[in-house]
Amino acid sequence: MGVKISLKNHLKLLMEYVKISLASAMEYKTSFITQTITMVINDTVWIIFWIIFFNKFNQINGWTVQDMFMLYAVVTFSYGLAGVFFGNRNKIAEVIAEGKLDFYLSLPKNELFHVLISRSSWFSMGDVVFGLIMGIISFSWWQWPLFFVLSLMSMSIIISFGTLAGSLAFFMGNAEESSRNLYMGLISFSTYPLAVFHGAARIILLTIIPAGFVSGIPVELLKNFNLKWFLLSLICSLVFITISIIVFKLGLRRYESGNNMNVRV
Amino acid sequence: MTLTKYIEISKISVYNSLAYLLDFFSGSLFIGLIIFVFIQLWNVVYGPSAGLIEGYTINMMVWYLVLTEAIVTSPGKILEEIGDEIKTGNIAQNLNKPYNYVGFKYASSMARTLLRFLITFGVGSLVAYVFLGGLEVKFLTLPIILVSVFLALTLHFLIMVLLGILVFWLEDASATYFIYQKIVFVLGGMLMPLEIFPTWLEKISAALPFSYIAYHPAKLFVNFQWSNVSEVLLKQLMWIMIMIVIVTIVYQICIRKISLNGG
Repeated sequence: MGVKISLKNHLKLLMEYVKISLASAMEYKTSFITQTITMVINDTVWIIFWIIFFNKFNQINGWTVQDMFMLYAVVTFSYGLAGVFFGNRNKIAEVIAEGKLDFYLSLPKNELFHVLISRSSWFSMGDVVFGLIMGIISFSWWQWPLFFVLSLMSMSIIISFGTLAGSLAFFMGNAEESSRNLYMGLISFSTYPLAVFHGAARIILLTIIPAGFVSGIPVELLKNFNLKWFLLSLICSLVFITISIIVFKLGLRRYESGNNMNVRV
Repeated sequence: MTLTKYIEISKISVYNSLAYLLDFFSGSLFIGLIIFVFIQLWNVVYGPSAGLIEGYTINMMVWYLVLTEAIVTSPGKILEEIGDEIKTGNIAQNLNKPYNYVGFKYASSMARTLLRFLITFGVGSLVAYVFLGGLEVKFLTLPIILVSVFLALTLHFLIMVLLGILVFWLEDASATYFIYQKIVFVLGGMLMPLEIFPTWLEKISAALPFSYIAYHPAKLFVNFQWSNVSEVLLKQLMWIMIMIVIVTIVYQICIRKISLNGG
């Protein structure tokens, strides 16, 4: 694409999509509210599970129920942001398989960015709300700025991982199930205390399935800030963003268009 | 005569599902991953001494989860299917057919469910066996456990049908399913046996129907006691009867309220 990619233009596009999404949320208020509340209840049930668990066992490898509150603050808030602003993060395989990518290819915006932002999940709004509630319960005022920064880094990892998993569709055709499993795997691993994983499992969670950097490491940093691990987290998110952009570009070269001549209005 | 048509429906459903075997396997891989995570979690909780927690060894604890996960996840999206048919009005296509709608759904989905149960249980067992070890189960008790699992799947099906029909009033099928699933996860004792709960919550959960889907059959599986058998099976049957009555009533009310336009 010969068009110069300007950050300002893309942010403007994101804002436009957010506006459309808000307008439609207001149009279908009941649905929007139901889905938001459902997600809050869903997350609450998980926290109840952990309260019961730690009520019985007090701590596991140094992790307490307070640490789980922080973990849920980071996990739900960052997954929530990813879902609200980059709703297609886990739908890329579908978009590719159904030939819907054509629409984005014809426009003068970065294709990956445009695909990601063109959907917004209302369930995710519940995650954002729940993350903030958990944050209010867990954090002192000075932890909030760090919490927001770490959540943005987690969010980037989540979106990049979703993009990588979805890009499998470029190379294997029908990859919806595999890509869903990979994405769900990242979610699942990031909702358990990092301290229970040892050896190979821990190495995997700090590299190819970076769930440790999505939740476990941010919790450690919020408890005891450590510059080395902060920088490692930052590098991890930058590396994942870069790889996902490269892989998506490589995939695009292999993409064979469908003849899905739809016009979106 | 009447039963044969439902058996035929089941057969067709199994043939259809065979086409999606790979999809089933892929779905059960996720269950394998959860089993793996819980093995790590319980390993830390039990520590190197690996004693008993509330009467469960670590192997019992993990194999308990292998069975509950397989029961709870194998029916798939029945609730959403029925919810969608009711909301879109497609249910009308079934009303003038010579079968009972719920019976038809039961025959077609149970066949699929049992197939998926076998695969999920197989994958879960493999993960548990490789990363932890086996479980001692007396051969003689297996038929009873299988009956209990079958009743659990039937009860699970009926509750989802009921909620599916209620989508007529509740509006959002996936939201309803989400919350029901989480109730079974915790109060049904899917994630951990009810003995881990504080006593008051354990008593409430054990009395609710959800625990007859996960906790009670899984406990029979890992810690078989002859003294529990009749109570568990009878209570499962009792809840199934109660659900059949409620589903029949709610279904009739819903059908009367559906208004159809054209064909």
